Amino acid sequence: MLRFILGRLLQGVITLWLLVTLTFFLVRAMPGSPYLDAKAVPAHIIERMMAYTGADRPIHEQYARYFVNLIVHQDMGDLIKRDGVKVSEVIAESFPVSLVLGVASMAIAMLVGIPAGVIAAVRKNTSIDFLCLAVAMVGICLPGFVIGPLLAVSAGLGLESINVAGWSSPTDWILPALTLGMINAAYLARLSRGGMLEVLHQDYIRTARAKGLDETRIVLRHALRGGLIPAVAFLGPAFAGMISGSFVIETIFQVPGMGQHFVNAATDREFFLIQGLVLFYGFLIVVANLLADLAQAALNPRLRQSVGH
Amino acid sequence: MKKQSNSLWQDAWQRLRYNRAAMVSLWILIAIILLCFVGPFLPFVQSPTAVNLAESSRSPSWAHWFGTDPLGRDLFARVLYGGQVSLLVGLVATSVAVIIGVIYGAIAGYSGGYVDDLMMRLVDILFALPFLVLVILFSLVVDKPAAEFTNMVIEVTNFERDRVAPITTLIPLFIAIGSIGWLTIARIVRAQVMAVKKQEFVEAAVSLGLSRTRILMRHILPNVIGPIIIYTTLAVPGIMLLESVLSFLGLGVKPPNSSWGSLIKEGADRMEIQWLLLFFPAIFFSTTLFALNFFGDGLRDALDPKSARD
Repeated sequence: MLRFILGRLLQGVITLWLLVTLTFFLVRAMPGSPYLDAKAVPAHIIERMMAYTGADRPIHEQYARYFVNLIVHQDMGDLIKRDGVKVSEVIAESFPVSLVLGVASMAIAMLVGIPAGVIAAVRKNTSIDFLCLAVAMVGICLPGFVIGPLLAVSAGLGLESINVAGWSSPTDWILPALTLGMINAAYLARLSRGGMLEVLHQDYIRTARAKGLDETRIVLRHALRGGLIPAVAFLGPAFAGMISGSFVIETIFQVPGMGQHFVNAATDREFFLIQGLVLFYGFLIVVANLLADLAQAALNPRLRQSVGH
Repeated sequence: MKKQSNSLWQDAWQRLRYNRAAMVSLWILIAIILLCFVGPFLPFVQSPTAVNLAESSRSPSWAHWFGTDPLGRDLFARVLYGGQVSLLVGLVATSVAVIIGVIYGAIAGYSGGYVDDLMMRLVDILFALPFLVLVILFSLVVDKPAAEFTNMVIEVTNFERDRVAPITTLIPLFIAIGSIGWLTIARIVRAQVMAVKKQEFVEAAVSLGLSRTRILMRHILPNVIGPIIIYTTLAVPGIMLLESVLSFLGLGVKPPNSSWGSLIKEGADRMEIQWLLLFFPAIFFSTTLFALNFFGDGLRDALDPKSARD
């Protein structure tokens, strides 16, 4: 078990190195440059700026310097267009916001999605099943840029104590978290309904029924473990995605999260910010997928050999 | 009682026919597909791109069933033509993503060990690469080949450019969506294959001396088909919406052509002023996806051999 985790973490380090290397060269292959502006910038100023950030050096030297700074000095570099602002500061400022929002949406998604899927599976082809499915489908079929404004309008008219946009009072996370959570609740509901139905017909469930266990216990203690596997496989990357912010949700509700930086950094050609964000996001993906795989092994004894039991 | 043995799909079809929700969904889907692909040839459907500023932002009427947008274009025609794009994207891009994802995930899950580690870490890397940067780079690379391909198709088929271009410009979009969309499917299939391959019937197949490919294709994959169908039908809305994001970034549908995603986006921007602009495309979009997902659930239930005994 410990060996499995250590092995995966080692793999994670290699994954991150490959990821940052790829990103390093990809962003520099993009057309445009961070040193250009909408206004014409004189050539000597561009030269001075490039010399200042080291962009005038050969590419392999820039690459080596980036990694030396990253590993030896734990420094992800500075923003190019905003002098004196560090990449790490941008992440440190916006990640807590996205984390709060992501965890809240995740909680909503799991608390709504999984029970809805399980109930739908147990009451297959009844009106409750169809109702659960229909509600879940609303979350998938209506894009965030429609649900968000709709929620904002209805809350703005009905509940005056909730702010429709912004990130200043302690209740501000409710609307964006609901929007983000509903979308993912829908996925979880559908995946756990499907997973539960696969499991509910298996022999060990019949054995449990034959033993005379009551239905609630069978569903919760025996079927749930296997039935949640597809949902858990989905949750790994989904969780990493949720806590690293969503551009659409942040724009609608004026949330100062990380999602906006992913988009703005790419359009502004902020090389170091893109690399820093990718490194951070990659780290979240590696950890989330490791946790998802561990959770799968915990849920299904048949998988345990693969994690070194 | 002697029962004729049927293939998996024949059995499934038998069961599916008795699932009313699934059959209604199937008919709705067929109706929408016909409406979008045959509808535009009907004489009373207007041009989706003809600008008429004298008729801008009209409410629904006999002349314009769904009203007109701020440029006076007929919304009914735009929804039908947009449906062609969205349905094609939903079908082709999703198929590409599902095929890659299922094969990749099945091989990773069945092989286990180093192969699995290597394959899944590659998925992690692709997952974390900056999406926007990739899209910008990709649209640069494909611009020229796509234009050449369009010219070639026009030369070979002698169709007008207006009929060919909206479809051929979608090909880079299919490639882009297909190459990102398979990642989550691969993870789900891998997890499911890992769970199934430890079951007794696989052990039985191994001890019978069947080849690995045969075990994977004939014994394991049919048992994970449920989650695959569910996730496929789940992925279609996301993929159709991804199209509108990518089109916005310059990959895929170019204005003045439309898709449901782009119409919904335009409508959402004008929600307070003219809500019908959002309402009509959104109704078509969600009806299609509702039907597709109910059909997908019915198909999953029908393909589950064990549920036949209920």
